Amino acid sequence: MKKFEHLNAKSFSEAGKAIRSYRNARPSAGGTDLVGTMRAGILENNPDAIINLKTIPDSAYIRDEGNAVAIGALTTLDDIDRSELIRKDAKAVGEAARSVASSLIRNAATIGGNICQDVRCWYYRYPDEIGGRLTCLRKGGDLCYAIQGRNQFHSACGGMKSGTHRCTAHCPASTDISAYMQEIRNGNWDAAARIIMQANPMPSLTSRVCPHNCQNVCNQNEYGDSVSIHSVERALGDYIMKNSDRFYVSPEKETGKKVAIIGGGPSGLAAAYNLRKVGHSVTVYEKMPEAGGVLMYGIPEYRLPKHYVRSLVKAIEGMGVEFKLETEVGKDIDLKTIKADSDALLLNTGAWKQPILGLEGEELTVFGLNFLVEVKAFMNRQIDKNVLVVGGGNVAMDVALTAMRLGAHNVTLACLEQRHEMPAIPEEINRALEEGLVMHNGWGLGKVVTDDKGKVIGLDAKRCTSVFDEKGRFNPVYDEEDRHFFPAESIILATGQKVDIDYLGEQFKEKIASARGLVEVDETKATREPGVYAGGDLASGPALAIEAIRDGVIAARSISRELGVKIDRKYKGPRFFKPDVEEIENRVGRTELDTPVAERTLEKEDTVTLSMAEAEKEARRCMSCGCYAVNASDLSPVLVALDAEIRTTDRVIEAETFFSELDASDVLSVGELITEIYVPKMKDYRTGYMKLRWRETIDFAVTSLAYAIKEDEGVIKDARLVAGGVAPIPLRLCEVESFIEGKLMTPELAEEAAELAVATYGHPLKESGYKLQTMKSQLVKALAG
Amino acid sequence: MSRNLNLTINGKMYEFTVGDRLGQIPENETLVDTLRDRLGLTGTKRSCGQGACGCCTVIIDGKAVASCLTLTVECEGKKITTIEGLADPVTGELDPIQKAFNEHNAFQCGFCTPGIIMSTKALLDANPNPTEEELKEALSGNYCRCISHYQVIEAVKSII
Repeated sequence: MKKFEHLNAKSFSEAGKAIRSYRNARPSAGGTDLVGTMRAGILENNPDAIINLKTIPDSAYIRDEGNAVAIGALTTLDDIDRSELIRKDAKAVGEAARSVASSLIRNAATIGGNICQDVRCWYYRYPDEIGGRLTCLRKGGDLCYAIQGRNQFHSACGGMKSGTHRCTAHCPASTDISAYMQEIRNGNWDAAARIIMQANPMPSLTSRVCPHNCQNVCNQNEYGDSVSIHSVERALGDYIMKNSDRFYVSPEKETGKKVAIIGGGPSGLAAAYNLRKVGHSVTVYEKMPEAGGVLMYGIPEYRLPKHYVRSLVKAIEGMGVEFKLETEVGKDIDLKTIKADSDALLLNTGAWKQPILGLEGEELTVFGLNFLVEVKAFMNRQIDKNVLVVGGGNVAMDVALTAMRLGAHNVTLACLEQRHEMPAIPEEINRALEEGLVMHNGWGLGKVVTDDKGKVIGLDAKRCTSVFDEKGRFNPVYDEEDRHFFPAESIILATGQKVDIDYLGEQFKEKIASARGLVEVDETKATREPGVYAGGDLASGPALAIEAIRDGVIAARSISRELGVKIDRKYKGPRFFKPDVEEIENRVGRTELDTPVAERTLEKEDTVTLSMAEAEKEARRCMSCGCYAVNASDLSPVLVALDAEIRTTDRVIEAETFFSELDASDVLSVGELITEIYVPKMKDYRTGYMKLRWRETIDFAVTSLAYAIKEDEGVIKDARLVAGGVAPIPLRLCEVESFIEGKLMTPELAEEAAELAVATYGHPLKESGYKLQTMKSQLVKALAG
Repeated sequence: MSRNLNLTINGKMYEFTVGDRLGQIPENETLVDTLRDRLGLTGTKRSCGQGACGCCTVIIDGKAVASCLTLTVECEGKKITTIEGLADPVTGELDPIQKAFNEHNAFQCGFCTPGIIMSTKALLDANPNPTEEELKEALSGNYCRCISHYQVIEAVKSII
């Protein structure tokens, strides 16, 4: 057992204070769970201190309080089992206490400790000394081993979210992917739309251009293809645009506050949507003829058809956002004027400037982003036969593909990075190679070579031996001796973009610029100038669209907070995750149908969105990561059934609320301690606790049922039914309760009610289905009396 | 200054201090380790370490508990009885429970027997005339892989 400090507390307040003074102190009641857990080393974070509560005077008692029985938190289960008062007035509590483990454990274990105990999942409890502990999802790891592993003692009614899932953590906008996947599996596309739009109001666009980092970390990668998250997102995004009148609605109330947004790119649009939704008046200034920024002008039609961008802008306009197009701030309108006229200002003008690389002959090259913006104009000119694209990112891929589809027969790409280091999406690299791109990895710019008439004939390149230093920073190293000549009549540089902040004017620029030549912002996206916010590439340097969207959402929240209106993330998603146990074992993902190479063009989108039915099937491959361990406490279902109160050093918590989270530590704050359990006597109710287990001693419940039923001549007046062992929390069967209320209890009705419980709540994993049968028979037995 | 730790084990007073130095009891020491490794009271067996087998059962202030789940530093002022404390300290005469176990051959390999006897002792001290059901319940936390349970029940029944 690892070292820890130890204190015998003399009062709850002393104990609480002591716990707060350590990094990871744990209170100890009976210690029957905690000591075993520490000895086996199953937890990553070993407690640095143990605060013994058993030494607190008057913390173990059973008192008659008239209509209720009060039980001190440190009362042992054995004392509860032996108490006459409990037997008379809180019978079910006694039955549950007596059912715990063996008398050896009950002599030490307390009621307070029992309701805070950790789960008994065999993956969670895998001991450190036997091959190393398993860092499962509940322990802050990534994967629940039970979902596709052995799960006969796990939940039969779905899992619950535990921490931030890997896919969400790797999405710059923190999209709650598993939540919208669940809603799609439920067939509830509107709910899915509301969840995704809280993080990202333009999934129809991001799904088409995002490198979807979420997929790289999807837990399905352990077994086969990742869930094709972007394909499901795209189907959902298209669904949202098809029903845009429902999802982009004008606010009911105007706040009367005015926000100006400079730049109509992804960041500006995301901010505009969120600010307008809560009733602010929003004006977007855009220098180009259409809003959308890089999504409109920088990404080729075949990857992101512009009608999607236009529909989004139209939908946001429909909410009442005003767009001032072809209005260049600093030229057509003064920033000062806009600022004076608005309550807040958001700058997101992106990164559109060509960086100066200092390359000999640089003026003879073409800037990749300009090439993409002016692609139509280019088409009218005769494109050169041999095109060399320099760069390894998505812009380089877009440029190369566009050049090839424009009719350049020979498109060569050279970049510093080796194939696996390239920042471009692998799908895009494959697409370019498929269409005939010749790729040379590991070459850096030497100089542009011209003939005696000054015409470009190629690029002299030098070997790049490494791109990143040992700390992973961009720091290319060249071998000047190792050279290669790439013949080309046209050289397009897609080696990055720069932020241009000159339009801010000298004085203002000075005020808000960062040392890197960007606009400096804090975590709320506020600049150093009060009332002025910034986001997107302007503040971060060139980054992903989804990162710009995140900035826009954060900026909108900060601005709105400043203007006195809170923007909530109110759609939390479903309480229980219900995986499709067959489909999660399908190793092959469903992605969009691709156009054959020969038929691909510049104008038509290459791929076709999955149908809603296909997307729903793909959503079924989502493992529904979460914790599927069941609450192991025998007392917990009983306390919910008896409508007990958990009294702590700080407050009174209803048992149902206390047990609504995965872990007691999710409800209690650090140092908050349970002092008493207050159990109403439930006079006129028939109460009890049933527990099924394999052995009569030691075992935890396979399933259990706590009930409190009030009858009048056989008619159910009131019922509280709580199932244990079937879900991560004690599961109150509200649907069944309301179904039987007011009805005459008969064996047939009991059977029907039990069937309803299974149909409403049941969602077993591969091996936990039998639990629904035992839950059913316990229910029938309890109801029939 | 080190914290004192006073234990009464089998009627003898022990005074320890808490700490990491030689002879001190560290915070993370469990009672079974103190008894066996520090005091040589090896009748108490170390086995599952999870409170599931009952081999480490001792009696603390009248209750049978698993000493493997008990931190020694939490035993301040407690009265602890181990299997070594049952026989008469002067005459060496065995406790009636021990005698009954002997007479009924209520063991085979004997590893779990001290634990079973301690659970029985705690039961009979509190309830000299238990029913068979009460007896089985009290011993339900003590496992025997050699299936001595039947003889154990007979042995205990012979003295109640």
